[in-house]
Amino acid sequence: MVNRLRFRRASRRGGLTHRHGALLSTYGETQMTHAPAEIAIEYEIAERSPRRWLSTPRARGMLLLAPAILVAVLFSIIPLIYLFQVSLTRESSFFFNAEYTADNYLNVFGRYRSAIIETVYLAGVASILDLVLGYPFAYILIRKIRYREFVRTMMTFPLFGPLYLAFGLFYVFLPTGPLGGVFVLLGVDIAKYLFSQAAVLFSMAVFTFPFMVMNIGAALANVDPLLEEAARTLGAKPWQIFTRVLFPLSWGGIVAGFLMCFGWNLGVFVQPQLLGSPKEQSVISLQMFLKGLVQFNYGLAAALGVLLMVMAFAVTWVSLRFSRGALGA
Amino acid sequence: MTRVQLVDISKRYGPTAAVEHFNADIADGEFVTLLGPSGCGKTTTLRMVAGLVDPSGGVIRFDGQPMNAVPSHKRNIGLAFQSHALFPHLTVARNVAFGLEVKGTPKAETERRVAEMLEMVELGDYANRMPAQLSGGQQQRVALARMLATDPRVLLFDEPLSALDRNLRDSLKYSILELQRRTRKTAIYVTHDQSEAFAISDRIFVMNEGRIEQAGSQLDIYLRPQTEFVANFVGDNNGIPGEVTGLVAPGGEGEPRLVDLVAGGIRMRGLDPGNVRPGDKVVAFVRPENIEVLANGHVADAPNIVRGRVDQIVFEGPTVRLTVDVDGTPLKVISGGLERLTLLDKEQREILLRLQDVTVVPDDPAVAA
Amino acid sequence: MASMTVDVSPHAGRGSGPRWFWNALAHGYVWAWMAIFALPFLATLIYSLRTPDGVWTFSYYQYVFGSFRENLLLSFETTLITIVINLLIAIPAAYAIVRYPIPGKSFILSTLNLSLYTPAAVMGVSLVIAYAFLFRIPQTMIGLIGAYVVGTFPLMLVPIIVALRDLPMVFEEAARTLGATRMQTFWRVELPLLGPGISAGILLTFVIIFNEFLVTLFIAGPGLTTAALRVYNLARTAGFQPSTAALATTMQLVSFTVVLLFFHFFGSRYLKGTYLI
Repeated sequence: MVNRLRFRRASRRGGLTHRHGALLSTYGETQMTHAPAEIAIEYEIAERSPRRWLSTPRARGMLLLAPAILVAVLFSIIPLIYLFQVSLTRESSFFFNAEYTADNYLNVFGRYRSAIIETVYLAGVASILDLVLGYPFAYILIRKIRYREFVRTMMTFPLFGPLYLAFGLFYVFLPTGPLGGVFVLLGVDIAKYLFSQAAVLFSMAVFTFPFMVMNIGAALANVDPLLEEAARTLGAKPWQIFTRVLFPLSWGGIVAGFLMCFGWNLGVFVQPQLLGSPKEQSVISLQMFLKGLVQFNYGLAAALGVLLMVMAFAVTWVSLRFSRGALGA
Repeated sequence: MTRVQLVDISKRYGPTAAVEHFNADIADGEFVTLLGPSGCGKTTTLRMVAGLVDPSGGVIRFDGQPMNAVPSHKRNIGLAFQSHALFPHLTVARNVAFGLEVKGTPKAETERRVAEMLEMVELGDYANRMPAQLSGGQQQRVALARMLATDPRVLLFDEPLSALDRNLRDSLKYSILELQRRTRKTAIYVTHDQSEAFAISDRIFVMNEGRIEQAGSQLDIYLRPQTEFVANFVGDNNGIPGEVTGLVAPGGEGEPRLVDLVAGGIRMRGLDPGNVRPGDKVVAFVRPENIEVLANGHVADAPNIVRGRVDQIVFEGPTVRLTVDVDGTPLKVISGGLERLTLLDKEQREILLRLQDVTVVPDDPAVAA
Repeated sequence: MASMTVDVSPHAGRGSGPRWFWNALAHGYVWAWMAIFALPFLATLIYSLRTPDGVWTFSYYQYVFGSFRENLLLSFETTLITIVINLLIAIPAAYAIVRYPIPGKSFILSTLNLSLYTPAAVMGVSLVIAYAFLFRIPQTMIGLIGAYVVGTFPLMLVPIIVALRDLPMVFEEAARTLGATRMQTFWRVELPLLGPGISAGILLTFVIIFNEFLVTLFIAGPGLTTAALRVYNLARTAGFQPSTAALATTMQLVSFTVVLLFFHFFGSRYLKGTYLI
């Protein structure tokens, strides 16, 4: 070992020529030791031949990315910057003679504070429901079920959008609906829940349920079942296996799933409108629509939008830390 | 058909050099192997010949034409990959036809050529299978057919057998050699497996840390290693540091020149590396299978004959492997033949050894200090 | 996901009840959730097939091909255009991100994904303002398509990036050494091998844009009512009508058929890390 190390250093000091000399003596003509001058010149020429800027890999890559970046800048970044600017102007004055003011934000954190709280509350509770109900679902899906593809296919229904979900649930909650008889049998007065917080929360939780299952499932799939067996053979009880093995190892998926559900639910719009009471209908997205497109108070709508965007981005940023680059980052 | 010259080729990634000052002149029809441990730069060198990596310096020539500025798809080469790299969405026949199709070869000609190639690798009946339906060996044979279909100037092999199991490796390496002999194409073969290199090459380049350690025939590399690295990397070896005591007068025309030395307290006579004088520090190498266990009755007091105590005996079937302690220097000894059986009860006993074919490699004095 | 079906229920073999009981409970739980997933759809379906007097009928589906026809066609049209533009933008972008040395790659990727994390209502408000004041394209098809593209091309991008990363360079190199030009390599080798990833992108774009109503509500004018927006408008203004249910059922059936087709041909592998599962 020592000898070899010494040898390595020797080779860097130029012991090479010497060794090549030895080769030359053995192989005569077929072995060259250094480049003849003309070849070196040729190579120089090849290297310096006018290389157009566009032919560098970096430039070509940027060129291929250009349309995507253009679309993102035009339809996402510039509008968001505009939104911020508009949020600093009074009502719809931005479109005529911009009057700059901070009133919109004072308003948002004053009169609309309850709307913010309502939005965060609904999103938070719905996401907690998803977590509590989704963890066992993900565990069963990953560990015990052979018809996993079928379950996944069924799970796409909520993802067609909250609109059909809310629309369909509306009918489910109707006493005259298809399950009306079932509810009567169970002694549940289902009509009571029609325009209620419970209905809104349920529809929100169902809509984001697949996101939770997806994140926790991905984390659990990476936990070797042998670890659970090992824990069991070491005498751990079921709840100890959960708290000491599964929970710590799927922590990243839990956080990512929760934040993803929370982020989606912050933008909730149609469920309160179709299934909720006026209290639930104070959520930020709905207020933005009402203030902006019904009452033309663009300044206030923009300020609400900026607030919602900041909240959504913060949540996304944290969740991407935990989801191990689910989106290719 | 094609002489391949690599003139002072180097490849640097930032401050680290993957290949430095690589020079080789490969004759038309020659089968050359680049042998070395992983990370020695052999694959990078091959990929530079293939045009998949741009050299940082130097010139690559095919028949005298510089190829540096020629993109890979215009070099007309055949490259065999470690994984067979068959296109999974195309049938065997379409895989073999690929190179012809992209060059716009007429359909009839393509079909004839594909059939001929598949026949050559004995897979004529598999034309319409998908690659995934073939065994590992069959896949690699299709890859060979695909690479030969376009009649390339140079064949390049990037460890094509390393993903296969041992039996397949042994039979396929002779198939590769036979195909190369039959098509008389220049071939460059990269491997870390010395038995592969020894079996098929006309010439072997042993590489280490981006440089050529030694180039030569199998026998040169095996019997006359010129550096410590080659002596250690190729085959098993005993390396014993020592000092030259004198040059032996040449015995006659064609006789090897010898030197006397003392290494590990043992007086030996070894091959003269050609550049040592008395007093120089050297390392003496002697292969375990070149150490003969002598019957009792020999005189210990002669060059290359030493007495040692057997520390360990491992019976390996056709051979017996001994570890012998000679005045504190452990020597590995491999003994074959019937006499191996007489050694089995020699543990902790003294035996007499004759060291044959001792090679001598100079130890760099600048570093020894 | 590894197909681990070994029974390692924490309860298995313990004293807390027989194994079959826990198994039945586990499967029952999953089936209960599947019922919940399907329930709103089934309820809508049933409602669309009955008159207020409780008579079973297909008559409400005449509206789907009657007065809703225009909305449906507009939905198909906008979805199709969005998919084509998404493909044209996302394939080169994915290629650049995976195969080219681009400075600030992760920053660029986050920028491209920005719209994915923007709540739909925020996107709607910001685009209404930008379209009216800056681009001067309020209530136009161009504006609508622009919003759809920016909202979904990241979803096209991600599966293609995943597929391209999974695709070893060796196929590309093999094609090149066999004499194929860059374009030939792309069309003959890479594009077919990227098929599942690209299809996943198409599926995601389809499912989302076909059913999108919220951004549309903000930026589409009266002449640009897509089918999903029509469902929303009718649910808001006309109450709960069987004809609306028929349209909603049709929309979900079309979406589900597309999903089934995709799962049949490609499985769910390329949808990982995206909107759908």
